[in-house]
Amino acid sequence: MNEEQNEKFFDLLAQKAIYGLDENEARELASFDAGTTELEFRSLELTAAAIHLAGLEADEQMPSFLRERILDSGEEFIRSQRAESFQSPEKGANASSSTTGTYGSWFGWTGWATAALASVALAVNIWSTRLQPIDMAKVPTPVETPRALSPNELREELLRSESNVYKASWGAGNVKEFSNISGDIVWSEAKQTGYMRFRGLPVNDAEKTCYQLWIFDKTQDKATPIDGGVFNVQNEGEVIIPITAKLRALGPEMFAITIEKPGGVVVSKREKIAALAKIETSL
Amino acid sequence: MTQSILQRIANGDQAAIQDCLTKYGGLVWSIARKMLRNSDDAEDAVQEIFVDVWKNAERFDETKSSETTFIAMIARRRLIDKIRFSARRISADSLDDVLLEPFTRADKDMQTGLEAQQAAEAMRNLRPEQQQVLRLSIIQGMSHQEISDATGMPLGTVKTHARRGLLQVRELMGLDSLGGPQLSQGVRA
Repeated sequence: MNEEQNEKFFDLLAQKAIYGLDENEARELASFDAGTTELEFRSLELTAAAIHLAGLEADEQMPSFLRERILDSGEEFIRSQRAESFQSPEKGANASSSTTGTYGSWFGWTGWATAALASVALAVNIWSTRLQPIDMAKVPTPVETPRALSPNELREELLRSESNVYKASWGAGNVKEFSNISGDIVWSEAKQTGYMRFRGLPVNDAEKTCYQLWIFDKTQDKATPIDGGVFNVQNEGEVIIPITAKLRALGPEMFAITIEKPGGVVVSKREKIAALAKIETSL
Repeated sequence: MTQSILQRIANGDQAAIQDCLTKYGGLVWSIARKMLRNSDDAEDAVQEIFVDVWKNAERFDETKSSETTFIAMIARRRLIDKIRFSARRISADSLDDVLLEPFTRADKDMQTGLEAQQAAEAMRNLRPEQQQVLRLSIIQGMSHQEISDATGMPLGTVKTHARRGLLQVRELMGLDSLGGPQLSQGVRA
């Protein structure tokens, strides 16, 4: 391969790993050695995935209805896999290669047939769970579950149950309009959980901004504090927000609330600091 | 030795399906939402991605990648297909934000694994233009033409940065050894 061909080859591979190829590009790539192409592409595809992961912001939570739907598909998948494994001797753990002749053909045929039926069942399941309206008559009657505790009750429970809780009071940051903020923050190192209580933190327009908590602890460099989660304030008066730290925070020294774009940021420019709380003692 | 979730799925362990969703559901959902920018499309895509993950579970080789990267790779493959099929490209919410965001948040490593750390470290070794092109193309899903329009770089230069940047990150991560004999010409920036 000369240098020009080499460049073209890797252009196509990079294109495939990042965007996929159209028919003409795929045909062009197919003119190169298939074995080399496959091996090179596999590692570039992994590289692109790793870069993607490196640049991904915090995970969003998958909607619960979608999770249930996928779990149903998963159960169907495992059932079909087990049926296939049972019917296909070569895939089973106790596989025997001696099933030949009529029985071998019969088992082989039924194995494939079962697998095919199972695949159809899986496809129908995916289709039906995605596209069909839910038949409410078939939905099981919900079982009464214990009432979920409010953030305030959870906070009280944390303070009752934990003897070693960090606590700090909120003070003003660098935004003049936010100078009347008060409240506190509590953090349990053992449970890696905590709550922020605010009074006077203005309601924000969630379409335009969000609040983001940053935890400065003893383990992280001050330039890269721990993301403590993003939140919105929807009501005037006292609000209590649970902390969702993305890393273990050990020995917190200071907490800061910044105002960011919706969804939060990877790195805060710290232009708008709504509130600060410095740890002075742990209870 | 503890089996990975994907190995358990390949062995028909029903509980592993739930574990897989618990551990990777948010990740796959986030990738899909980011690339498709539409919750309805993302819902369909995520369900298809997990079926792909289960079907490919037995191909997972922990000596070649982490489970997280393997699943992200399968997710990207499916999403790229969907984007190509719908001939839709994604534009960044705010180009300025994208261009300015470095790879430095402390908590990222926890969520995305060792290879993501290595990729972030490798990215820091690239020329700024290469970093920018890879970020806009891989993470934001912008086409070469869109990147060219947004940054003012000639189209050919964008392609060159994408190719060289990707190859260099691969090399710095040591992933090129997975790909058989290294074809080193044109790899270096």
